[in-house]
Amino acid sequence: MNVLEFDGICRAYTTGVNVLDGVSFGVERGQVVGLLGKNGAGKTTLIRIAMGMLEPQQGHVRVLGLDPRRDAVEVKRRVGYVSEEQILPPFLTVGRIVALHRRLYPTWDDEMAGGLMERFELPAGTRVKNLSKGQARRVALLCAVAHRPELLLLDEPASGLDPAARREFLEMSIQLLNETGTSILFSSHYMTDVERLADRIVMIHDSGVLLDNGLDELHEGFSLAMVPRTNGMSHERILGLPHCIGVRERPGAYHAILRLAPFEAETEVQDGLGTAEAHCQAIALEDMFVELVGGRS
Amino acid sequence: MELYVTPGDELPLYRQIVRQITDAIAGTRLKPGDRLPSHRDLAAQLVIAPLTVKKAYDELEQGKLIETQRGRGTFVRQELPRMRARETRDRLRGTAQRLLSQAALSGVPFADVLDLLEELREGMQS
Repeated sequence: MNVLEFDGICRAYTTGVNVLDGVSFGVERGQVVGLLGKNGAGKTTLIRIAMGMLEPQQGHVRVLGLDPRRDAVEVKRRVGYVSEEQILPPFLTVGRIVALHRRLYPTWDDEMAGGLMERFELPAGTRVKNLSKGQARRVALLCAVAHRPELLLLDEPASGLDPAARREFLEMSIQLLNETGTSILFSSHYMTDVERLADRIVMIHDSGVLLDNGLDELHEGFSLAMVPRTNGMSHERILGLPHCIGVRERPGAYHAILRLAPFEAETEVQDGLGTAEAHCQAIALEDMFVELVGGRS
Repeated sequence: MELYVTPGDELPLYRQIVRQITDAIAGTRLKPGDRLPSHRDLAAQLVIAPLTVKKAYDELEQGKLIETQRGRGTFVRQELPRMRARETRDRLRGTAQRLLSQAALSGVPFADVLDLLEELREGMQS
């Protein structure tokens, strides 16, 4: 059974305009899924639906086999959640907040909480309002993981943090993966963090799932083809190639993404378009993101 | 042995690990019987997902370079496969692939590519 299952999720804000339109994918136990998409693509909405904070207008979500709205308490006990704009009560001290969380979670691990207090150098007696942004995020992270959740949902957990703090966050996530076998779904715009932590990528674009592949598949089974803008070449012709999933017009050349390793892509472009001028190569995750969601539609 | 991986590189992380460990064994920085860190320890050390290291270890195990002994750990195998041939083959693959794709794009039949290789080899020998 998947620890998280989205099945045909639809959610609109303005009537008739779906932010998410039939989004389906699952997260297996122990898997780390990186959720990518442009700002406004619906990543936050999707994570909030999994937390039961929003209800889908169509479709179903299952978290650890439960309904996050009907079984809200149990889901919250077994899941950890951190979001970009999480607000901690400003007048409480760090120590008080940790103590409050400790009472809420039967599986709270004092040793882990203490270890993270130390590693994050968190001042127990300081009020939240006097913490830096980075410190406040660390408190939120500690509270999200010290009960050793089975599933961790992270919405831009590292945004606005400096590289050292982001690395700490990654180290903590890996500790959790190693010791607890926690499954993680996280959204991030830091592609190197995504490469370090994720073993699978789900990319959301135009209200749907554009890509759902293993990270290594993206590296080894996808390529960028650069096709010169010669007479008779067109966006539509290139998009018509059997394995092409996106084309972008750039000065001088079309950039096409193909679901093929570079060598096979070269053959497909050659045979399909009759040009020997095209160049195919492997592509880094960040460039794949830009090519697929930047300047399409 | 110290490993260092770079996310964002053209090579996926697991391949970077496979390559570095393979190179270390080829260059005898790692010797038969040497113990490797557990995949979880190495993941923590490199700050990458444990599954990524696991995948690299699985590949190395398949290539008969390392072996996992239940309850004891992961070790460089006592009897290594013909390492140099293997490694060279991996390295040659990329070059050969480029040669073949160029030939294919220019419509040169495979037999002609073989002739060309033969010709070059004779040139090297004389």
